[in-house]
Amino acid sequence: MGAGPVAEMSGERPVGVAIVDDHPVVVDGVRAWLATEPRLTVLATGDDPDEVLRSAPDADVVLLDLRLHGRMVLDKLSELSAAGRRVVVYSEHSDPETMLAALDAGAVAFLAKHEGREHCVATVLAAASDRPYVPPALAGAMVGDPRPDRPVLSDKEREALLLWFQSMSKASVARRMRISEHTVKQYVDRARIKYTRAGRPAATKAALLARAIEDGLIRPEEIGIYRSQARYDRPTP
Amino acid sequence: MSADLNAATPSPLHAAVPATGPGAAALPVSRTPVGEAPPVEVPPVGEAPVRAAVGQIAAAVARASDRGARVAAITIALAWHTAVALPAVLAGHAGLAAPGVVLAAWALVAVLGVLTGVRLLHDTPLPAWPLAGLLLAVDVTVFAAVGGTQLFTAANWVWSTLGWFFVLALWGRRVVGLVALLAAHSLIAFAAVVGYGATAPADLARYAMYVYGTVSLPIAAFAGSAVIAALARQRAATAAATRATTAERDAAERARRDRRERLALVSGAAGAVLADLAEGRADPADPHVQRRAVLAASRLRRLIAESDDVPDPLLHELRAAADLAERNGVPIDLVTIGTPPPLPVDVRRRLAEPLTATLADARGWARLTVVSAPDEVVVSLVTPDRDGPDATGPPPGWDDTDDGRVDQLYERDGEIRWAQARWRR
Repeated sequence: MGAGPVAEMSGERPVGVAIVDDHPVVVDGVRAWLATEPRLTVLATGDDPDEVLRSAPDADVVLLDLRLHGRMVLDKLSELSAAGRRVVVYSEHSDPETMLAALDAGAVAFLAKHEGREHCVATVLAAASDRPYVPPALAGAMVGDPRPDRPVLSDKEREALLLWFQSMSKASVARRMRISEHTVKQYVDRARIKYTRAGRPAATKAALLARAIEDGLIRPEEIGIYRSQARYDRPTP
Repeated sequence: MSADLNAATPSPLHAAVPATGPGAAALPVSRTPVGEAPPVEVPPVGEAPVRAAVGQIAAAVARASDRGARVAAITIALAWHTAVALPAVLAGHAGLAAPGVVLAAWALVAVLGVLTGVRLLHDTPLPAWPLAGLLLAVDVTVFAAVGGTQLFTAANWVWSTLGWFFVLALWGRRVVGLVALLAAHSLIAFAAVVGYGATAPADLARYAMYVYGTVSLPIAAFAGSAVIAALARQRAATAAATRATTAERDAAERARRDRRERLALVSGAAGAVLADLAEGRADPADPHVQRRAVLAASRLRRLIAESDDVPDPLLHELRAAADLAERNGVPIDLVTIGTPPPLPVDVRRRLAEPLTATLADARGWARLTVVSAPDEVVVSLVTPDRDGPDATGPPPGWDDTDDGRVDQLYERDGEIRWAQARWRR
């Protein structure tokens, strides 16, 4: 269903992943998903984030179930993100408020548990290189963000998010908007980068932002000012 | 005063009864238009219409109760004017300084009184302050025309009668205005008393008594009617709000019951698949088993995603359509973001109907999404594109015309069929 081009990896070493979930069956399932991708290797699994990271201090990406033992672990998420851990939250709680709260807390990406293998692999690979990946459910949460202090998105960015959320096919969005798939992805990713300014600062957010500037996804002068994006509303080459 | 009370008291009772009307009527209105709706249905109640109805009812009650008070005030003024003032003027005719002027003023006030009363009952009162000015002019004229001997008799009709016409002139305004007018009235009288040299202690005592007698009753009637109207309004609003809350609670309870039943149904289906898998009766590799699992999962997800207490009419229609289409074995994802604002029925229909029609035709899988903001609602349906002679154009129910408020879009690109309806305020 067109999960989009997967970010290329720098170096030979596969991306180390730590999985934190309190349901062994889910851990096994996600491990099986990730095993199909040679660029990924699962270093540790468990139901306690601290223990898992003690046994795999070099993990590049942490896949974190947002609900552990009946408790939402947004505070743990903030702590890990502040420490520079790239956390991909995956949860069955795919209501918009929870997703946006996870982004605010510094999660690199949010994945709804039902979104499947393709999105999971793409998200983890993108996260490892500090690049954004926006699965459809998250796109929906962003486009419907009702908060008054939400980042200001351009019309094109909003439309791309909306259509991606609706169709789950970047090819179809591209046809509909009469632009290339690459440009669709840029609009979506740019919207995501604007969210690095929402909530408290975190090392992971800074890393996403820095990589986005490096990749030419957004211009340095766009950072910090979200009032008028209209004149930058052109995809970068 | 009792006239006010009698006229006003029954109104809240009578008017509170139709309060059930709008609240109860809201229930059947928003039923889904899908003909073959699922067996259990939740009639949704829009919250905003109920609130609006409460306001309207309160206003209606206030109007009804105020009308009673108006009739009473008009009756008092005109009855006093004809039954007390006129005979007195005619009887004391001979002693008046300028009887013609006094009678003409009486006639003028009678005409003004009738006119004011009629306009007041039709909710188009005469301009208050010009009318009050005219009445004060009449006041001065009559005090001047009665002469010193008739000053304290009933033939000086303005003293006792005019206060009631002030009440009519200033109806519905703040009581301060009436107090000011009556004060002016008393000052004019005082000027006359002094002017005619009636300054003996007995005359001044009479003056004081007259002032008290002519001022107290109109003010009491005026203030009393305002208080009664406010009380009636309050009581009606409370009653209507209670009924609205009850209706909302009933709808919420019905929704909850309905969800429990559906949950039991879905859990049963999911449990059966799981049991079959656990006991080895079903093979996870079997496409049929996979499909059963997918169906059960999508149904569970939809139930979990329902977070509203009282179902929104649009979401309700779409859920009903999704449940219906699912009976054809199509797993359906229904994802809603935000809560739709209250929408007019025709907008809701244009948003939901084409999609529900397309949904009934869906094969394979379907993804239904609703993104709502206060000024925009976008509903979309995506299903796999498939070949077939019937798959050339939009299905029935679609008109790609833009009626200015709801855009409808229908596309096939070989990969997916994409139906979208978008409303913008």
